[in-house]
Amino acid sequence: MEIKLSIPAKIVSKILKWMTRLDLSRLVFAFALIISISGIVYSFQHDIIVSYGDAESHLNIAKRVVHSLTPGMAQLGGIWLPMPHILMLPFIYFDQLWRSGLAGSIVSGISFVVSSVFIFKLTELITKNKSASFFTFLVFATNPNLIYMQSTPMTELTLIVFFILSSYYFVRYLLNTDDNLSLIMAAFFGFCATLSRYDGWFLVGVEALIIALIHLKKKIIPISVKGEGQMFLYITVAFFGIVSWLGWGWIILGDPLYFTRSQFSAKSQQQGWLAHGQLPAYHNLLLSFLYYLITSMSNVGILLFFVFMVGLFKYLSDSGQVRRYSIAFLMMVPFIFYVVTLFMGQSIIFTPHITPISFDWRLFNVRYGLMMIPAAAFFIGFLFFKSGWPARALLIFLFLAQFGLYYIGYSKVVTFEDGWVGLSSARRPDAERWLAKNYDNGLVLMDDYSRTFSVVRGKIPMQNIVYIGNKPYWEWALAAPQNHVKWVVLQSNDTVWKNLFSTEEQQGRLYKYFKKVYTSDEILIFERIADQ
Amino acid sequence: MALIILPLLMIAIYVFTIKGVVGNPVPLDFKNNLDQAAKPLELSPERGRFALTMSIVENGTFALSQTLADAVYPDVGYYGGNFYIFFAPGISVLAAPLYMLGSKFNLSQVASFSLSAIFAVLNAVYIYLISKWVFKLPPWAGLFGSLVFSFGSTAWAYAVTLYQHQATTFFILSAFYSAWKYRQKGKWSWLHAVWVWSAAGLAVAIDYPNSLFMIPVLTFFSLSSINITKYKQKINFSFRPLIIISSLAFVILMVIHGYYNYVHFGHPMRLSGSIVGYKAIKEKQLLGTQESKESIDKLAENKNPVSYFSEEKFPMGLTILTVSPDRGIFLYSPIYLVGILGVILAIRKNRSLETSILVANILTIVFLYSSWGDPWGGWAFGPRYLIPALGILSIFIAFSLSYVRHFIFRIITFLLFIYSSAIAILGVLTTNAVPPRIEAVALNSGYNFLHNWIFFKDNHSSSVIYNTFFYKKISLLYYALPIYSVILILAVIFLFILPRLEKRHGN
Repeated sequence: MEIKLSIPAKIVSKILKWMTRLDLSRLVFAFALIISISGIVYSFQHDIIVSYGDAESHLNIAKRVVHSLTPGMAQLGGIWLPMPHILMLPFIYFDQLWRSGLAGSIVSGISFVVSSVFIFKLTELITKNKSASFFTFLVFATNPNLIYMQSTPMTELTLIVFFILSSYYFVRYLLNTDDNLSLIMAAFFGFCATLSRYDGWFLVGVEALIIALIHLKKKIIPISVKGEGQMFLYITVAFFGIVSWLGWGWIILGDPLYFTRSQFSAKSQQQGWLAHGQLPAYHNLLLSFLYYLITSMSNVGILLFFVFMVGLFKYLSDSGQVRRYSIAFLMMVPFIFYVVTLFMGQSIIFTPHITPISFDWRLFNVRYGLMMIPAAAFFIGFLFFKSGWPARALLIFLFLAQFGLYYIGYSKVVTFEDGWVGLSSARRPDAERWLAKNYDNGLVLMDDYSRTFSVVRGKIPMQNIVYIGNKPYWEWALAAPQNHVKWVVLQSNDTVWKNLFSTEEQQGRLYKYFKKVYTSDEILIFERIADQ
Repeated sequence: MALIILPLLMIAIYVFTIKGVVGNPVPLDFKNNLDQAAKPLELSPERGRFALTMSIVENGTFALSQTLADAVYPDVGYYGGNFYIFFAPGISVLAAPLYMLGSKFNLSQVASFSLSAIFAVLNAVYIYLISKWVFKLPPWAGLFGSLVFSFGSTAWAYAVTLYQHQATTFFILSAFYSAWKYRQKGKWSWLHAVWVWSAAGLAVAIDYPNSLFMIPVLTFFSLSSINITKYKQKINFSFRPLIIISSLAFVILMVIHGYYNYVHFGHPMRLSGSIVGYKAIKEKQLLGTQESKESIDKLAENKNPVSYFSEEKFPMGLTILTVSPDRGIFLYSPIYLVGILGVILAIRKNRSLETSILVANILTIVFLYSSWGDPWGGWAFGPRYLIPALGILSIFIAFSLSYVRHFIFRIITFLLFIYSSAIAILGVLTTNAVPPRIEAVALNSGYNFLHNWIFFKDNHSSSVIYNTFFYKKISLLYYALPIYSVILILAVIFLFILPRLEKRHGN
């Protein structure tokens, strides 16, 4: 026995024609905007925008450019690249946006929306298929890790948007190497990426390499004249950011490699972990590979990650795809970058999937895996394009099943977990609450690098903080605090502590002019006696 | 003919290797006797299931007595003043008739354990049927696939004791085959449809994760009920309502199961695995105290069986199940590398819905148990959780053999089979109580089949036939050799002789 139903073929083909005429990019934009705003509202209502310690640091860097004891572009510092902070400037001016973190959310949110549109366009460029491209967008934009991070002032979304934009135009160039405008656009967005995160440096290096490789000739001259010209055009624009940053380090901080050599650099921090024997991927290629593989997997979603692997394999084995190796190489840039940096000890990741239980922390920097979400979305979309309807139904099922895994708690939103309970989470010491309640006015001396407490959550205006970036006030305040600051905040063994409280003589001098008004195991707060 | 001879040989081999003791054990026989290594109730999973069977038959109840609860500890839960095993009750219920029959011959325990052997024989038959009829593979390839699963994998060690693995494999394979028969729209489609649903319901009753493992087969079943045909002027959709009508079988089984849960645990959806453990109560000394009920309820609130599965455990779990020295399938049964090759070949050359469903089934099992907090399966012989996946992968061994016809390939397959079946026989004749490496190191014990080798050398066997009739007469080695030889002879016949005969008849 069977129940039968017939539909005239004309109706079906009318529906299909209507769907192909749809301007999906507007729909993508609208959906992305709704998702972004919803994510930001949710994070704002639950007070999780500034969960990451780094999130506050990024906000404060931008804030100091406009409001500081010594405002100016020099406050951008020399470790983190400046683009995300520069983009925050129009919003950070307003204290409410600064303290709530929304100044950063706006930048990340806009980056998210633009990324969504261009990952859709990138897939459409390769597949010429709207449904596959829309599926790519869905995989990208509904990723919970991405939705959370785009509501925060972290820098990942800034990098992702420039990575996608640069890749999109670069792929346009690869598909038509006479398209110099696309090459310039790719270079420009590459330049922006180089000023967002160091991953961007690797991106432009790879793009330059690809240009060289596609123009290689097997004759006496290794590269064609056209290739040479395009290479110089590209490098001039794309690498300008790197050159500028090195110049910045040299001029402002006295060392072009300040970002990697200074005591505040990631490399220096990693040395501490290495000394403890807790830098597992250092000089271990297999572990470096596994750490980043698993981190990517936990960000993309375990089911979708396997689909991504199948899609990548499918793409590489499809001889009909133009420049498939170059494009795949480009999309996998973040993966290679992080494996290399883990191997070199320039970065560190802890993930509970493989970090030993004996380690002090087992959740740290897992957000680095976000960078693989664009690649995953692209290859999943490609697989969708290449599949018949039964396989597409399976892909849709797996996409929905992934949400099921989040819902039952099998998979966690690791970027949120890291910011909430991982090593990346901001501390909320009691001293913060005390100072918020008792601060009235006056300059506050504190070592911002050690993140004693949250400035955004307190009442202290940024221009009343004296920190290492406020030269010469910092040096003056360390030499004679009683003449320059009303409050001194010390955390055990931070720079202020070492200069004012580590010896009896120093303590004596401090107590002469200041009274201790707050005590805890780690943090002491002093108020100038003359002001009491 | 093969379908008669092979099962008979299998039954004979299972008889010679079934774990047990002569007699009808009583609860007091469990502790410090039958729960020792190489004894039939050496581990809590079979001890618990057998205890429940005993309870059902002897006492007419699903609750365990205090003596049995102490014997089955720690896989015992506590609810409403009663003790229950943590496991789903299905295996114990199915074993009850065999227990009753066996007790008449002073073999209640042995007869109960034969339940797994019955399922194992049926699994071998289904592997053959699916290879031959669904995928049109040569019969000799299907026979070899059956042989590999039965005697070349760690499934053998669990065909002679009371675990859920062979039964799970049976329900998956039989449901798949029935769904395929249903798809053919034959005269008995309705019966096959009823069986698919029944298998799903029974599978859940024997082990709760089976609710996930049956999804691919049920998907296959559903897709087989829908047909879309494109013509020039129209598109036809057709739907077979038999799938809905036959689902009554599943509904009835679920209602019975829900009623069981309601009567014993207070709610139809409360599973035995979610009640408070006897271990927790014992450690907190809550039994018999006035505050106990509230405290026990509080302990139960914290227990969520779903939380035992998590993504964080996946990488380590997958490593343990595949390549670890204590449970890695490719260490115990490297013949399954041929199965992996078969999966790849099948995806490339036979990209049918049937292939996809079976591959999806394997992946579902591997995925779930890699995410489980205890991929080792406690103390166990080999990766026991993968047994249902091995049953399906054995079909893909048949694929490999039918696509790769080189003689050298069959030699390699045979060599891998020699090794795999040697490991399998080592396990089935000795003990399943092999600790994970992490525990073994602390106990200064072995942690894989090398631990079994020590038992083997000492003639320390779990086989009821050996212990009853041969222990004082011959060594375990001489007992194993004829069994092993029969298996290898069968392998030679299936791999080398039958293909030659097929070729000759083909020419």
